[in-house]
Amino acid sequence: MILIVGGEGSGKRGFARRLGYADEDMADGILDRKPVIFHTEKLTMSDPESAVALSRALMQKEIVICNEVGSGIIPVRPQERRGREATGRLCILLAQEAEAVVRMVCGIPCVIKGQLPSGEDSIP
Amino acid sequence: MLYLLTGGSGCGKSTFAEALCAALPRPLFFIDTAMPADAPEAEEAARRQARYREHGFQTVARYTDLAGLRLPQPGGTALLECICNLTANEMFDRQGRRTDPCGRVMAGVDALRRQCGHVVVVTNDVGSDTGGYDASTGAYVSAIGTINAALAERADAVLELVCGIPLVRKGTLPTRMEAQI
Repeated sequence: MILIVGGEGSGKRGFARRLGYADEDMADGILDRKPVIFHTEKLTMSDPESAVALSRALMQKEIVICNEVGSGIIPVRPQERRGREATGRLCILLAQEAEAVVRMVCGIPCVIKGQLPSGEDSIP
Repeated sequence: MLYLLTGGSGCGKSTFAEALCAALPRPLFFIDTAMPADAPEAEEAARRQARYREHGFQTVARYTDLAGLRLPQPGGTALLECICNLTANEMFDRQGRRTDPCGRVMAGVDALRRQCGHVVVVTNDVGSDTGGYDASTGAYVSAIGTINAALAERADAVLELVCGIPLVRKGTLPTRMEAQI
């Protein structure tokens, strides 16, 4: 499993396409049979207690794409606060097991753990 | 040595900070700046401090005037957690009146550095969202950005935590930590 994180519009799905996945291979924030999931944060934001169980299911994916949502003012609403925290914790669990972790910065893939499948150029 | 750890919520900063302190000289001090707002938060603070004591830290709750704090033993390592709480405490009084916190926060960190051989400071990236806050919150976000930049300039090492992965943005870590990352 390759974990791709980054802010909104940072090029995460575009990078998954470069790795050979088409839009129809990608599920939008739902757990189904597709090899790629994006907007994974929707799952933890709606159910913050689910992070550990989710991590097990998400390990089966080929690509997990998650927005980084923890870098702003800590929300007043408890559900939102817990959701952000849970999204971070989920990404830590996924990163521990992932073959590679890629963080997108302005469309640039920064490999922060492991190596990408051969042939894919990357910027360390 | 001054170490600065940054990153968003739930990125693994506290876990890493504790591991870093374990590689640094004792005694270890945990400076808790989170002022409990109510009874449940006070209980949470007590649990948090008890956990740090179990892990070999002496704990000190200090919400404002960090510059006036005198640790019981000089030397060793202080873990300051975190800049966001300390800044809020220094910036807003109970009536919500606002003063510039930057000088007092920096003076507090400097005072710790004079007393401890190593200071590990945990901060947070609070400025990377769409904004749209009221003037006070906007000023708070700016103040933390200013303080983070000033701390990074003084720091011997700056690390950003992403998904629990430490990314070295300045300097190097102690050799014992380097082996772990």
